[in-house]
Amino acid sequence: MLEPKTVLFLAALLFSAGLYGVLSRRNMILMLMCLELMLNAVNIALVTYSRHWAGRGADVFSSHSGQFFTLMVMAVAAAEVGIGLAIIVAIFRRKHTADADSAAELRN
Amino acid sequence: MEVLFLISALVCVLGTLILLTQRNAVYALLGLLIAFFGSAGVFRALDAPFIAVAQILIYAGALAVMFLFVLMFTDTRTQLDALGVPGAVGARPVYKPGQERKQGEAALKFNPLEHILLPQPLAAVVAVAFLLCVSFAIYKLPPSFNEFGPLPAGYDSLVFTPGVEQGRNLPYGSTEAVSKTIFEGFPLAFEIVSLLIFAAILGAVLLARRHLAGIPGSQDAGREATGTDEAH
Repeated sequence: MLEPKTVLFLAALLFSAGLYGVLSRRNMILMLMCLELMLNAVNIALVTYSRHWAGRGADVFSSHSGQFFTLMVMAVAAAEVGIGLAIIVAIFRRKHTADADSAAELRN
Repeated sequence: MEVLFLISALVCVLGTLILLTQRNAVYALLGLLIAFFGSAGVFRALDAPFIAVAQILIYAGALAVMFLFVLMFTDTRTQLDALGVPGAVGARPVYKPGQERKQGEAALKFNPLEHILLPQPLAAVVAVAFLLCVSFAIYKLPPSFNEFGPLPAGYDSLVFTPGVEQGRNLPYGSTEAVSKTIFEGFPLAFEIVSLLIFAAILGAVLLARRHLAGIPGSQDAGREATGTDEAH
């Protein structure tokens, strides 16, 4: 029997895996990839809640709002990746590296 | 649905492991793709087929191609780390005559961990602590979260289509039901997201463009000032 708690735990697992990736990688492109994984985990949690409330007798808007917000998260993620990759390309053009530590002029 | 969920979750975790451990960035991107396909299967197991298709189209289709393009634009293969292995993006070692013998000897000594990133303890502590906290919160959820309720037979629809009588029955998760939620429930958010994507397109073009003639402070402005650029 498929439980909501199992699916939520999968989402938490993927989210913390993405968090580990963001913290451990040094290449900015790979950090952005792990960020996408975190957003994807949030999507799984949203769809789980959507399915949960559909099984509890919610109306059409309430039970589908989770899927709607998943679509919103996808759109925002696409915009975020576009801007982030453009920034990485701009930094790479100046520094000739995609290392996150290379863009540390604002430190101190 | 149970079997589909288990297989998809396994695929998801496997792709995540590849993403986190591979030193080669293209392999890591492949792991991310596998994880995206796995989560599309999870969406399908949760009776959300439209979201599953959108996941494959947007994430696995568009985002992965964009990442691959930028990986090719920013070729950082010349960076060697302490082991003498090319850095994060390195697919092949860079040819340097002096280093050839050293790398050959390193290749003779078979090292299975050569292409695997070693775990970073501090990041692992943070991630595991986060996972423990969230797992405790999930464990403490009320008992109504112990099982999914039965799906409703369908929702009443007031969508008017010519030739079809009103009051159709929309099943949960169908494209019609999702679009009804978007266009009747949250139309303002939908329009604002289109503005956001428009602004993101403009911003990405502005940021990644090479020359901005006549705009001081843009990239390569110094080169234009010294006259080495024929963009004038």
